[in-house]
Amino acid sequence: MKTLKLHLFFLLLLLTGCSIDNYPAPDAQLFGTILDAETNEPVEQDIIRGSAIEYIEHGYESQTKQLMIFKNDGSYRNNLVFSNTYSIAPVRGNFVPVTPQDVQVNGATQLDLKVQPYIRVKDVKIEKVGTKVVASFKLQQTVINNVRKIGLYAHPEPTVGEPMRTALAEQEINAASDPNKTYRIELDQAANSNVLKTGSQYFFRVGAIIDAPESKFNYAKAVRLAL
Amino acid sequence: MKMIKNTALLLVFLFALGCGNVLDKQPLDKLQGENLFSNPEGVKLYMANLYYQLPIEDFTFFRQGFNWNTGDPNNGGFAPAMVTDEAVHTEFGDFIGNDDFQWWDQGYKLIRDTNILIDIIPTLDVTDDERKALIGESSFIRAYTYFALVKRYGGVPLITSVQKYDGDVEALKVPRSTEKETWDFVLKECDLAIANLAESWPGGERRATKWVAYALKSRAALHAASLAKYGDRSPISGTAVDQKLVGLDKSAAAEYYKAAADASEAIMSSGKFALFRANPANPEEAANNYRLLFEDPNNAPEEVIFIKGYARPGSGTGHNYGIWFQPNQTANGWPHPGRMNPTLELMDAYESYDKPGASAPIVTTEAGNDLNDYNGFNASKQYKRYEGPNDIFKGKDARMWATMILPGTNWKGQKIVIQAGFIRPDGNAQIMGGEPFTVNGKTYYTYGAADRTQYSGFDTWGGNNTRTGVSFKKFLNEGVNVAPGWNQSITDFADFRYAEILLNYAEAIVESGTGDKVKGAKALNDIRHRAGHKTDIPLTIDNVIRERRVELAFENKRFWDLIRRREYHTTFNNTMRHSILPVLDLRVTPAKYIFIRTNVARSNPSTFDYKQYYRYIPGIGANGLIQNPQY
Repeated sequence: MKTLKLHLFFLLLLLTGCSIDNYPAPDAQLFGTILDAETNEPVEQDIIRGSAIEYIEHGYESQTKQLMIFKNDGSYRNNLVFSNTYSIAPVRGNFVPVTPQDVQVNGATQLDLKVQPYIRVKDVKIEKVGTKVVASFKLQQTVINNVRKIGLYAHPEPTVGEPMRTALAEQEINAASDPNKTYRIELDQAANSNVLKTGSQYFFRVGAIIDAPESKFNYAKAVRLAL
Repeated sequence: MKMIKNTALLLVFLFALGCGNVLDKQPLDKLQGENLFSNPEGVKLYMANLYYQLPIEDFTFFRQGFNWNTGDPNNGGFAPAMVTDEAVHTEFGDFIGNDDFQWWDQGYKLIRDTNILIDIIPTLDVTDDERKALIGESSFIRAYTYFALVKRYGGVPLITSVQKYDGDVEALKVPRSTEKETWDFVLKECDLAIANLAESWPGGERRATKWVAYALKSRAALHAASLAKYGDRSPISGTAVDQKLVGLDKSAAAEYYKAAADASEAIMSSGKFALFRANPANPEEAANNYRLLFEDPNNAPEEVIFIKGYARPGSGTGHNYGIWFQPNQTANGWPHPGRMNPTLELMDAYESYDKPGASAPIVTTEAGNDLNDYNGFNASKQYKRYEGPNDIFKGKDARMWATMILPGTNWKGQKIVIQAGFIRPDGNAQIMGGEPFTVNGKTYYTYGAADRTQYSGFDTWGGNNTRTGVSFKKFLNEGVNVAPGWNQSITDFADFRYAEILLNYAEAIVESGTGDKVKGAKALNDIRHRAGHKTDIPLTIDNVIRERRVELAFENKRFWDLIRRREYHTTFNNTMRHSILPVLDLRVTPAKYIFIRTNVARSNPSTFDYKQYYRYIPGIGANGLIQNPQY
């Protein structure tokens, strides 16, 4: 009887000891796209070494910055966010820096980030000419800084970009771009025969980078070509 | 009742006894602070421990820390060179992760241990000379420690005396100083060490001297100067930048370059140091001299300034270069040798004697216009054919032959066989795999021999064979068969040597555009003469950096050179490292060797993230410090 009592006592302790923790789970989702404020088009991004989103949850002293990255098409999504108010800003990117905005995140929260991209890569044509892949395009820059370089990048995956390529052709510009000029870059397939195989399909993407601190490449959409 | 009485009596008895200090025992196996420091032998003992903790980037240093030769020292044979363009590992493809090259807790532990000594020096009953030496040594150790911290974290909290806990945790929290203040503190501590240390120790002990302190200052000031000059190659932003906790103003470069040049000059004009065997008769002699310098730095007392010694095989006293990095053929029973694979990038960097003043990339085809073609064997190309498997390297800098074991050269009495395959008479390539092939009654093996103990290249078995085409030699002792166990190597490591000081000087002169350019050029060319070069080359930054790469290869300098000059993110931008494949060409009789420049097999491109220029500061939740950018 006495042991039973003792057992019951410990059982009671065990049951009362652990109450279910009372913090709500991360039950909100935050998602959206980074958009060109003027054209409302998504601003193309890189995954590796690309632009980022920094967000700080309100109500904590530490002001710890949390980080998200973009997909290549400029979209982002985090399905495990604590419902709260956050200061959110896209940072270190291919756009003119913006100030953080305070956003109430609750349930499925869509937040499109409007920015002014440094460069718009326009009128892109990428085609195979003989043994070369030739890209022609125009550049419209929105700031007075120099354009540092332009490039044509190739990779088997649609996530192609300057930091993710198996072949590339680049040109140093280091000058302001001419909005009327058609820029032309050639990527020689023969010189990259083991990574650009005839008969296979690859993604090609044109990019340009502005000369600004921590700037990232601006791109046009990747184009799929069979060689 | 009697029971109560007895208990009361016992209590009284215990109480009386308890008040005596009979329980205040001194531990018998430990020394008390005052006893330790009142005895010169005790101070020496304490000092030995501080030196042991010193963050010397030697054979036991890799991404997870220092002194990796106790407990379980198995790091898979990974070395710091393998995250640079100097080498790759036979198997691992790891690049730089957030947790790599951290050194925070250990750094502040060493600072505390040093501060304990510094605080007690004024009270010690020692002679003035001894006191001066103690002040000098402890400043040197503190300078060395803060240098290791500032190059990782930028500005850090400067703790200059022992902190005492009196119930208030907040009082112990010291905010970060600016990066400038931290560098200045390092240089100031160097100056204090220089002013107080003697030129040598009576018994020739391997302890800090005036010259070691100058050497440290030379290295640290050059690092700071480069950061100031080239910080804008990789701009950063954030709170830490706004408060100048990371980053230096461009204007600081001049004073730091001058400090580096002055400190180097002090060593150069002391007359105490010289290059080891500075004027070899020919490249063969130069190669041998250079090998001797690293096989045992004690061979070259005129060149080495500061040695970290390895006394005897065993935990904490030996290291593991001897087992990990032997070519497969001389494994001596160790299951996983051959792990340091010098890259084609490094091979290319060496000059050739007939073309001084430029890297001499290894040209493999008659056309010679395809250095950047890493696409593998191409039957339509006219490859240069060679009789021997290392003929293609002939005429290249002697140091290349002393740093790497080249295919077909002798090592420990064996011809080291490194072969990637062969081209069949019909023109089909059989590279890295496949069955033996018999032609005209002679059987050819892909890797150059029938048995896997008879070759050292390209076979994936065990991760024991080089995948870059050459094996590693520098620091390995040809005369010693290292036992196949942990911590069996006792090669000493030269932390500072005269050649580095000359290169620091040359770089400071050329980068600052001030100072004695003639002397700078001489410093550069003296090192080249020692490597068998006869023609002087001008003092340019490209010449200095190339010279650093080849002279200091594998001395764990390249990592910091890429960091301080902010060249990591451009050197490693979706970058593949490369190999050279010696291949036997059976299309001709007798068979000859051709060489193929190619990507390192089974490797991926590496990209350096900008934030890695600074490590993250651990434990900011508790220590309340401002974190570095992008962490």
